[in-house]
Amino acid sequence: MVGLLLASAIGTSALAADKRPPLPTYTQAYTPTTVDERGIWMEADERERVQRDSRSLIKDPALNAYVRGVLCRTVSEDRCRSVRLYIDEVPAFNAYMTPNGAMVVWTGLLLRVRSEAELGAILGHEFGHFELRHSLKDFKSHRTGTDVMAWASILIRNSANIQYSVVGQMYAFSRDQEREADMTGFQYLARSQYPSSAAADVWEHVMGEADATAIGRRGRAQHKYVAGVFATHPTDLARATYLRAASIEAHDVKPAVVDMHQAAMAKWLPVFLNDQIKLNDFGGSEYLLANLADGTGWTTPLLCARGDLYRERGNPRDLVSAAQFYQEAIGKGDAPPEAYRGLGLALLRSQQVAEGQAALATYLRLKPAATDAALIATLIS
Amino acid sequence: MSKKLALLAAVATLACAAPVAAGNTLIPAGQRIAVAKSAMTVQPGTEWNKLSERPGRNAETWTQDGDELNDLSFYGGIESGRPLFREVDKKNRPLPKVSATMLITDIPVLLENSYRIARDASSMAIDTIAPIEFAGSKGVRFTYTFAKQNETLQRRGEARGAVIGGKLYLVTYEAPSLYYYDRSAAAARVVADSIRF
Repeated sequence: MVGLLLASAIGTSALAADKRPPLPTYTQAYTPTTVDERGIWMEADERERVQRDSRSLIKDPALNAYVRGVLCRTVSEDRCRSVRLYIDEVPAFNAYMTPNGAMVVWTGLLLRVRSEAELGAILGHEFGHFELRHSLKDFKSHRTGTDVMAWASILIRNSANIQYSVVGQMYAFSRDQEREADMTGFQYLARSQYPSSAAADVWEHVMGEADATAIGRRGRAQHKYVAGVFATHPTDLARATYLRAASIEAHDVKPAVVDMHQAAMAKWLPVFLNDQIKLNDFGGSEYLLANLADGTGWTTPLLCARGDLYRERGNPRDLVSAAQFYQEAIGKGDAPPEAYRGLGLALLRSQQVAEGQAALATYLRLKPAATDAALIATLIS
Repeated sequence: MSKKLALLAAVATLACAAPVAAGNTLIPAGQRIAVAKSAMTVQPGTEWNKLSERPGRNAETWTQDGDELNDLSFYGGIESGRPLFREVDKKNRPLPKVSATMLITDIPVLLENSYRIARDASSMAIDTIAPIEFAGSKGVRFTYTFAKQNETLQRRGEARGAVIGGKLYLVTYEAPSLYYYDRSAAAARVVADSIRF
């Protein structure tokens, strides 16, 4: 029965393969061909040297191997081999690939994706930009556009309308490229071991977080249904919608694989959470934590980060909540000494002096060589 | 002809440069002076330049070679509900605010978070923290390092601060780790040591 099912699954995927759009042609050790492309590569080489020496670069071999592994499993081993990967400690959702084949992944992306498949969806999109040589095409589009505008301003009276439409076309070109990279990334994902529905999931979470940030800052949650004239990317909503439609159409039923994302991130999760908490974005951080807890449950690092988030906002009710989160974390038995520090400081600010000092004393006992030990000691005496 | 042009260019440059430079003032050595529009006074041991551009309402910056090379900033009584320095993008990247109930441990956190947001300093780290007496009050002294995003230049800083009467008082000195930090650190410490109200 299982064999039959498997056979039919293979049969349908083989049939579907005929209908799927082809992947970009792959050339090993591609070198730039034209003067424009050589110039773009030269600039990219220079930026890559700066990136390589950046102080915020994360060199941990295990984390680098994990991200590279996901890229390779998404776009295939031979295509990913020449990519240089740089993980940059920047707490925002972003990754990009330079025209010369260097991929830069920001840690905010690693924190936000919840599985290998979601990470693969974004890396596949960026790899799509690279394989389709989008930087070169975008450069040419801009040059042509600005040339037209310059000549129009000399040759044609009242050329403002022409210039406006040319600029609009340049941005429309950029949006088309993003859509193209989305669909190419989707093709990689669909051909990989990962479920293609992950691509749409990512954008839905990005929208959710943007709403939570806006509401947290007493603003209004707002999503554009149509990209504006000067938008470089399609709207998140549009992307989530067409990627979801594509995944329903692809209908790829794949055997579940062991997902290594949580395990690979375990060592770095507290660091990346700390970077996020310090951004003074209560709504967005709270959404992010809840989203992570949705996959793993409220683990100790998530509870400690939530305690820090509430304690730093510091309304009286926040301090009560913060103390509860730290206590829950401590109750789990694997909390770091910093949980007692957070608990003590939250209680002190809530005027619960004796309990707060007791928690701080525990912190000092567990971590006598802490950087702030002397300062914390002054709060106890 | 070319000489005339050069002269014209020089005059034009001066004319443009003059108003910008006009607000900067020389701080003479050895005189007690009030800083950051507050009751806080200091007595520098060497000459400094006070920049006309203030980081915020109750703040001012002194430098010797330019604020990117050595920056001694005073924050004189930042009130509850106000950010440490001027907002960079209030709508999308609001800065954390001072709170009257801040603990002494929250002062380094406030500076770190403000820098991380305003200067994209994601590699910012507080290296040492110690209790001190700040103009007769319980204060904190801490050192830190950071680099702005897309910059390989590492900057070092040290700061002293306290919350007095619900307001934050803070003095920071920062400079590139390479050469400049050590060059004026002693002069900056003389100023910070002399704080009085």
